[in-house]
Amino acid sequence: MKLITAILKPFKLEDVKSALQAHGVTGMTVSEASGFGRQKGHTEIYRGAEYTVDLVPKVRLEVLADDADVDAVVDVILKAASTGAIGDGKVWTTPVEQVVRVRTGERGSDAI
Amino acid sequence: MSTRERRERSNESDRSLLSLFYSCALEHLQIKGERGVALAAVGGYGRGELSPGSDLDILILHRGQFSDEKLGAFVNALLYPLWDSNKVDHSVRTRSETNKTAESDLKTALGLLDIRLVAGDPDLVAGVQRDALESWQKNSRSRLPELKQSMSVRHHRAGELAYLLEPDIKEARGGLRDITALRAIALSGAVHVPLERISFAESRLNDLRESLHITTGRNRDRLLFQEQDKVAKALDYLDADSMMSEVAQLARSVDYLLEYTWHLLEHKGRDGLGRFLRKPRIVSVAKNLSVRSNEIVINPLVDIAQDPMIGLRAAAVAAQLGLPISLVSCGLIKTSLSDGTGTLPNPWPRQARESLIALIGAGESMVRVFESLDQEEIIFDWIPEWRPLRSLAQRNALHRHTVDRHMVETAVQAAKLTRKVHRPDLLLFAALFHDIGKGEAQDHCDRGARLVAPLATRIGFSTDDVETIVLLVAHHLLLSATATRRDLDDPATIASIIDVIPDLNTLELLHALSIADGEATGSAGWSDWKASLVNDLVSRVRSKMSGSMIAQPPSITDEQLLLAQSGELSVVLEKHASGYSIEIVCPDKPGLLSLVAGVLNILRLDVKSARTKSHGVSAVMSWIVSPEPHAPVINQISLRNELVKAFEDSSGIEEKIMLRAQAYASIPSIPVPAPEVVYFNDAATDATVIEVRSHDRPGLLFRIGWAITHAQVDIHSAIVTTLGAEAIDTLYVSEFNGGPLGTLRAEEVTSELRRSLK
Repeated sequence: MKLITAILKPFKLEDVKSALQAHGVTGMTVSEASGFGRQKGHTEIYRGAEYTVDLVPKVRLEVLADDADVDAVVDVILKAASTGAIGDGKVWTTPVEQVVRVRTGERGSDAI
Repeated sequence: MSTRERRERSNESDRSLLSLFYSCALEHLQIKGERGVALAAVGGYGRGELSPGSDLDILILHRGQFSDEKLGAFVNALLYPLWDSNKVDHSVRTRSETNKTAESDLKTALGLLDIRLVAGDPDLVAGVQRDALESWQKNSRSRLPELKQSMSVRHHRAGELAYLLEPDIKEARGGLRDITALRAIALSGAVHVPLERISFAESRLNDLRESLHITTGRNRDRLLFQEQDKVAKALDYLDADSMMSEVAQLARSVDYLLEYTWHLLEHKGRDGLGRFLRKPRIVSVAKNLSVRSNEIVINPLVDIAQDPMIGLRAAAVAAQLGLPISLVSCGLIKTSLSDGTGTLPNPWPRQARESLIALIGAGESMVRVFESLDQEEIIFDWIPEWRPLRSLAQRNALHRHTVDRHMVETAVQAAKLTRKVHRPDLLLFAALFHDIGKGEAQDHCDRGARLVAPLATRIGFSTDDVETIVLLVAHHLLLSATATRRDLDDPATIASIIDVIPDLNTLELLHALSIADGEATGSAGWSDWKASLVNDLVSRVRSKMSGSMIAQPPSITDEQLLLAQSGELSVVLEKHASGYSIEIVCPDKPGLLSLVAGVLNILRLDVKSARTKSHGVSAVMSWIVSPEPHAPVINQISLRNELVKAFEDSSGIEEKIMLRAQAYASIPSIPVPAPEVVYFNDAATDATVIEVRSHDRPGLLFRIGWAITHAQVDIHSAIVTTLGAEAIDTLYVSEFNGGPLGTLRAEEVTSELRRSLK
């Protein structure tokens, strides 16, 4: 079992959500995030005053997936999130030891 | 569900306790029970208000003549049968023990104010009742602040009944406990509390609580989301939304009376000299308005038919000074609107519009004044469009307030942003009405745009301004929706915004409105994250737009040109809707703007707008001024004489203005955003433009002119505008020997200006 974490451009969230739902993913966690990668933020000039936007607003999306389905889910995210421009984000996976559904106590794949 | 049923429930408990009391007294105390022992109801039970899940609050009083053993057996025998059917909260005390406990425990003291004999010795209960009331009244100076403190802790814990999604009808602010507190304040005799104003709220909230207890079969007072439909049905409401709207309205009426009562209590006898003279000090603050006992009071002898704008002026002054309008004055305004003497013409005169803007722009202190206009049903006469939105519930996790309160809160947030825009009046107005389209199953932005156009026209905005307001209301979600859902790197996204927003001014206004709306919605709908996305979008759009937001210097008419060329002094004074319009053509000299502004200030004339321009050896100035209360009557000749005197010797002007400023310092004030002073070196070829945005105050223009002149800078042209309580002054300045200021000089002059405005 893996936790897939994706950092996306905010406006791509709806596309990614729809694509994941179409793929059969039923649950996900979404939160607001800020940061920078190679994009490094950008500089703005307004009325002579220069200011740097250090942290770029992003969306963080987390999905749990069975080992067998991980690559497919990552592909779905990549396809839906890509604009080809700098700042499209990242996707990574991390191993998960155990998952338990709080309501029923189901564990492992049954809890996804 | 009704007061009668709750009373019947209480009577039934009385009857069963009565027979139980006498049989237990006979068995365990060997007395018939009329002497030396009594059973009394306190708290809600004392008032005869018993809901199915209410606690039975009882006090067993005795004279200390029984052994502990006997008394214990009696109490146990009395309470044992009750435990199965009720939650009993009891205490067993002598009269002196009761008094002692009440002294140290506020809850006991409050409960005893409602004490009522159920069974036994009537003298014993009457004695305790007398003691409780006497002690409460005698110690009200210490007990009422204690009550306020405990309420504030409870309000903090339980939140506001009017706005919570799942409120506690009893504990929340504006709930049943607050009604009990108001009754206790009334009983203290410290201040008159018109309890009849909340009698409907009390019985209705008790109905709700009773229905909630019956529906859930439990004694919980929190109206949970899942119970709201059932309770609404049981009480014959159309649906849960309409029930929650009424709950909000009831809670607001309680809270309003409570706030007003605390205000009266806090300011009672704190009127400076008035305390010693035994009559309240009265300070006149505007035409026919004064401050008395820290309230705004309308002169009771005023003929409102001659001054129909007094209601709006009272609201504006109250909000700007952070004081409430007295209930009597609210009554005067309401009567004048009912009998038609206070009806405003259509469109509203400029002064009425300015008052409305000054009210909206007062920030936090506007909430209380606006609430009084709602509670006294005054606002609906001025703005009938407000009524359908009154306490309109928004039962979703995104919003923390009802629709009307959300719009008021948005205006409060907008007031913090008035320095960021060039038209604070349009921002404030759009903020107060941005959700006016809610309440129907249609897109609220489209509907709002349709509703706000006739409203803004009636309020007296120009056609262009109405167009801007309509655009702001129609597109108030545009920036935040685009920033979060569209690709900001895509030029089409930026182009789509430019298609809708015609100029930089409107962009600036829409940006401020989006922030104000978001901040007022709360953390569920707005965050730094979202704000940064919107900022990014706005800066991208701005970089693609052209034009200038800076006010352009006025043009001179041919007639003014001839007078200017003569180099002589000419003064023309005419009556104007706001007071007077004054045209002055005079020989130009450094410091002229502050000198004339100073003379006008000393004559108690408030500058509403000014357009000045140097031409050759002369300066041409057009002023619109409004006389303050007690302003001396002036005419063209007296004004000319005052100006001539000041041109000859200006040494006393600054001192006189300082004295006036000191006099104003004794009048209460509200916190306002700091003045904003910015300069532009690229906005004009031969001058530097300095823009000052500030809260308006007496002598503001004099200070600005004075600071600039002292920095050895010449003012070519000035455009001075007052919008509500905000002033925007644009000054075209240059070095005495000509040419715009260098960057360092401009920095120096603007810092000097900022210092002088502190």
